[in-house]
Formats: sequence, structure tokens, C-alpha cells
Amino acid sequence: MAQGVIKKEDLYRLLSTAAGKKKVYAPIDGVGGIEFAEIHEQKEITLDYSNSKLSPKSIFFPQREVLCTFADDALEEVQTPKEALIVFGIRPCDALSLTYLDKVFSDSAGRFKDPYYLKRRENAVIISLACKEPRATCFCTSVGGSPSGKEGADILVYELADKLLFESCSDRGQDFMKTASVLFKQAEEDHKTAAKEQAEKAKDGMPVLNLNGLKERVDKVFEDPLWDEITRNCLGCGACTYLCPTCHCFDITDEENRKGEGYRIRTWDSCQYPLFTLHASGHNPRVNKKQRMRQRIMHKYSYTVDNYGDIFCVGCGRCILYCPVNLDIRDMLNTLNKL
Amino acid sequence: MESMEKKIREIAREIFINQKIDFFLGYEEGSVPLKSRPFFIQAKEKTPDGLINRLVWNSFCSNNLAVFLPKFFEHDPRKKPPRIGISVKGCDLRSIVALIKEKQVPRENIVLIGVPCLGMIDKTKVEANFQGLEIIGSEETPEGVLNITTKDGKKHHLKREEFLQEACIECRFPMTEGTDYLIEGKARDPGDGGYARIKAFEDKPPEERWEYFKREISKCIRCNACRQACPTCWCKECFAEQTDLRWIGASIDLSDTMIFHLIRIFHQAGRCVECDACYRACPMGVDLRMFTKKIVQDVDELFSYVPGFSTEDTPPMSTFREEDSDNFISEP
Ligand code: SF4
Ligand code: SF4
Ligand code: SF4
Ligand code: SF4
Repeated sequence: MAQGVIKKEDLYRLLSTAAGKKKVYAPIDGVGGIEFAEIHEQKEITLDYSNSKLSPKSIFFPQREVLCTFADDALEEVQTPKEALIVFGIRPCDALSLTYLDKVFSDSAGRFKDPYYLKRRENAVIISLACKEPRATCFCTSVGGSPSGKEGADILVYELADKLLFESCSDRGQDFMKTASVLFKQAEEDHKTAAKEQAEKAKDGMPVLNLNGLKERVDKVFEDPLWDEITRNCLGCGACTYLCPTCHCFDITDEENRKGEGYRIRTWDSCQYPLFTLHASGHNPRVNKKQRMRQRIMHKYSYTVDNYGDIFCVGCGRCILYCPVNLDIRDMLNTLNKL
Repeated sequence: MESMEKKIREIAREIFINQKIDFFLGYEEGSVPLKSRPFFIQAKEKTPDGLINRLVWNSFCSNNLAVFLPKFFEHDPRKKPPRIGISVKGCDLRSIVALIKEKQVPRENIVLIGVPCLGMIDKTKVEANFQGLEIIGSEETPEGVLNITTKDGKKHHLKREEFLQEACIECRFPMTEGTDYLIEGKARDPGDGGYARIKAFEDKPPEERWEYFKREISKCIRCNACRQACPTCWCKECFAEQTDLRWIGASIDLSDTMIFHLIRIFHQAGRCVECDACYRACPMGVDLRMFTKKIVQDVDELFSYVPGFSTEDTPPMSTFREEDSDNFISEP
């Protein structure tokens, strides 16, 4: 493991030096809130944020992806993305979520590998930023994460007063640090202790959600009328799923002009929408909000546990913060688990 | 507002006891600061006191509850439509009136409890005041002071009046009319409707307006929260989701997103009650208020119609009069 310290004001210099031909992405204070964007100078970066509004999944799994173009019968594949990225400032929960998306887009048998997502991931260095002060809606520690979790990150950075402590957590991260080694100062004992204390404090301050036995529970209560009650407030808008770092459902449609030229695009989809799982016959197994919200919960807390061994929720709290009716997933889980 | 809250609970209890309703729809305390959330009470026992005591009335009851009603009255021969008691502000009620006229909600199944509205707090205004510092607690005093606790442990005292939603400041109908029960109290003075803001925008050069439209709409992620939060967006199949004849693409291509909003808002002509539920629901902060208000103003000017409290008058889009304005056809 490599360690090193830089001054906050040297962050862009470091990232751009190590980047070479790679593009540098970092959190900026954008028109719609904190977002990840390509940056070209230090002053664009903000470190003053709890988390980005949209999760960083869109960097690797964009909301709109052209899969191929066509004109009449001629089909042309779109080249897989070549650009390489350094993404700085992803929070540990979101870094963890990328490891989940990796499993979805490259199944273990290797039969279905999604070239678009995987190529971008392969070419990216993830530098996550440990959380000093988790938000009141965060619950990462209840779902296997931590405010200083390393999973999914190549480097984990701790924010210490006017400095940043870098700690590599993968070979790729170590290489990155080597490339820019001249810019790092040695990490002193003080720095390491401060980082450790900060991490402990952040973790200890977090509320704990008791999810023991939840999967077994929800598997058993699929038909329980309680689902009606807990989903009554839901508007079926899908904001929760679009903001969620682990939600990954997509749809594929063709868009063409009158001459028959066009493209095939992949766009985000959501279990909350009426077109989701709509069969060609017109039948839809999920026609109401109970069934749709049950799908959202079951998919995250049961089906993915079966399929990948993970709960597909990293406790980022976005769905709690931005739901227009404040339908709180923690409440739903608590209620279900008490059933 | 505490006395109003007490009164709402009393009436809810009374209509449950008299078996006038199967559900009550009001608000309860939310799980995040500055937020009360919709709250359904279903009578499993005759007087569900524990649940009734969770009903609140405060400056955070901004959700337009009318949005939940149409689903209960979708035609289903196996079910008897429920009777629902609901506490309403002026905007909620005007939406319900629109839904009654559009035959989405049967008046006889609804017990309306009117609440004189003092205006609701704009969460984003309060948050902006603290520039990203997390708010961890909020409460209000009867004197109109908003007590806020921030993450750093500090307490702040804000004047409620300075953090109201634009919709409430502009609102022309803060006092409900024609409800079955009316909570005692004074509503805020009616606003002027806010057309001046639209006029000022209309006076800007086209490029500037186009830039504004583009900037706002490019924030949109097509999550549909605006549509789903709107009480009068009740179409069983939205044009945006028709696939047999496709009107717009599924992506966030700017032209698709613009068309989505233009058509959605056009469909609100003569129905939009300026509640701003769409704006509030948007996670991306797309400011839809300029566009919704423009439609309200146009309908007012062209057809002298503003959706109000009467279930008798006919909405302009459902009728034709010889003297109807047609200069938008002849003089584009
Ligand atoms: S839970 Fe909230 S955000 Fe999610 S679909 Fe329902 S209303 Fe929308
Ligand atoms: S379900 Fe909610 S808390 Fe969990 S990862 Fe998704 S957005 Fe975050
Ligand atoms: S369009 Fe917006 S402001 Fe108008 S009624 Fe619908 S939610 Fe309310
Ligand atoms: S709620 Fe906001 S982001 Fe979602 S579709 Fe409406 S305008 Fe777009």
C-alpha cells in the first residue's frame, strides 16, 4: 500500500500530472447541484459536499447510450468507448455500488459482457473520498459499507484540514501514485492517526438499521397486505431509481427518420414505470404501485442476494432525500422486518 | 397552527366514529427536516386513535394531496369505491374540484375539511440560506419563527414569512370554499397571481427566453416526478409512454425533453392550479413555474377562466363558445 499527502490546493496539479491522456472527473457545484464533470482547473473542483445528487453511475452507464446506427438494412456497430478516466471524489458508498454494477454488466459465467460499461470501467481510476460527516440519511454501515470503505476504490483519500491523505487500495491505485510520486509528501504518523480517528468517528456516529433476517422475511411475505399499506404514498415517479447508484434497469429503443436511418439507443428504465415489464400481449405482471415498489425492494434486498450475493443498496440515502413524498426506504425495511 | 391540527384530528375522529369514511388522508411528520408527508389512515378499528394522533398541520404540509385520489376511483366492478376524508388547502381543493369535473373523483365519496392556509415553507429556500450545511432539525413556533438546527450544532431562528413558497406568496385562493368542514382561522391575504413575473419574461428577447428554456430543461432527467406529483396528470396512458404511435423518444435528448414538458404543460391548460407540486417534486431543481404560470395566464386572458372552487362552471377546453378567442390561430 502506498501512502502520500498533498495540499488541497495542489489536487488538480496532481490529478492532471498523473492523468497523462486520461480525462479528469471531479465533483463540481453544477446548475442542478453537486455533479461529476470533466474538469480543467483547480477552482472548478469542490470538496464541500456530502454527496453528488446524481450517483456517479452515469459516468459508466450513461442515461442514453447509442448501441448501433442503421440505414435501411445496413447496421453499423458503434465503437466501444476508448476514453480513459480518472474519477476523483466518489464517496465510498458509490464506489461500492460500482462493484455491484460490475457484476451485472459482466456475469460470472462470462456469457454476457457489456462492452460499453466494461470498457469505461476498465479504463478508469477511481479515487474515493472518505466521508467525514455522513448525512443523517446515510446508512452505509447497515448494508455492508463504511464511510471509509475501500471496496471499488483504487485509492482512498482522507480529507484532513488543508491536506489530503492518499492511500492506494489496488495495483492500479499504486501505479497512479507512483506516476505522480514527486508531488506527494510522506504521510506522517499525525496524518495517519487523524485519518483513523476521523474514520472511526464518522462510523460511530451513524444510525444502525437492523436488517438481520430481512431477506428470509421478505421472501416469505410476498403476498402480505402490508405491501399495500407501506406503498400507499408512492407516486410511482421513479426519482428514487434514477438517483440510486445501484439501479441499473434499461430499455432499448430505435429512433429513426423517415428515410429509415437511425440509431438504437439504450436508456435508463425504472421498475416504477408503466412500460417496465409490459409484455407485447399488453399484459403487465406489475400494474400497480404495490407491485412496482415490491419489485424495487425485492430486487435490492432479495433477488440480488440470490444472484450475486450482495444487497444492492449501499445506503447512500438519495432515495430518502429526494422522494417527493418522503417515502423512506428505512421505514419500509423496518416495517417489513418486523412483520 | 396547533389549534388547527387539534381540530383536524377531532374532525377525523368524528367522521371515523360516524362511519362516514373508510380512509383519512392528511399529513404526518416526515423523516427529514422541513418536511411533513402524506399520511393515510385506514380504519381497521372504529377510532384509530393512535394513528389520528399522528396527524399534523404545520408549514411543511406542501404536498398536494389531491394527487392520490383518482387511483381510488378507477373503475373496478369487484370493489366498492371508498369514502375518503381529506384535509385540504386552497390549491389541493381546486385540484379536487378539477378532478370532480373531469369525473375522476365522485364528490359524494369525499369528505372535505378545509384549512385556511397561511402559506407553506419552501424547503429549498431554507436550505439555500445555509449554503450546503446540513439541516438536522426544524420546528416552528406559533409566533411564526422557524427554529433550525444545523449539523454544527448551531441553532438559527428564521422568520417564517421570509421563506414561503412563491406559489403561496402569489396564491389568489388561500381560503377554501364549499368544503364539508372548515377549520376555524384566518388565511393569509390573497396574492396577486404572479402574472407580472410572466409579463417581465415575455418582454425579454427571444434568444434570452430560449436560453432560459434550454438551461432549465437540460437539467431534466426524465424521471417523471413532475408528472406523477401533478393531481391533474391522471392520464392512464401518458402520451410520453405511447409506443404504438410514438410521439417522443425515450432519452434525455434535449428536443425530446422539451417536447415532453411542452405537451405535459399544455395538457394542463385550464386545469393547472399553480400549486407547484411539479416543481417541488423535481429532484433536479428544474424550474417549471415559469411555464405552468404562463399557461394559467394564457387561459385567463384568452378565456377569462381560472380554475376555482365551483364544480358547476365548465372548463374552457371542454366547451366551445362563439366568442372564444381565436387570435392565436389567426395571428400567430
Ligand atoms: S418512492 Fe418516492 S421517489 Fe420512488 S417512485 Fe415512489 S414517490 Fe417516486
Ligand atoms: S436504495 Fe436508496 S439508499 Fe439504497 S443505494 Fe439506492 S438510493 Fe441509495
Ligand atoms: S402542472 Fe404543476 S402547478 Fe399545475 S397543477 Fe400540476 S403540479 Fe400543480
Ligand atoms: S421531475 Fe424534474 S427531472 Fe423529473 S421529469 Fe420532471 S422536470 Fe424532469
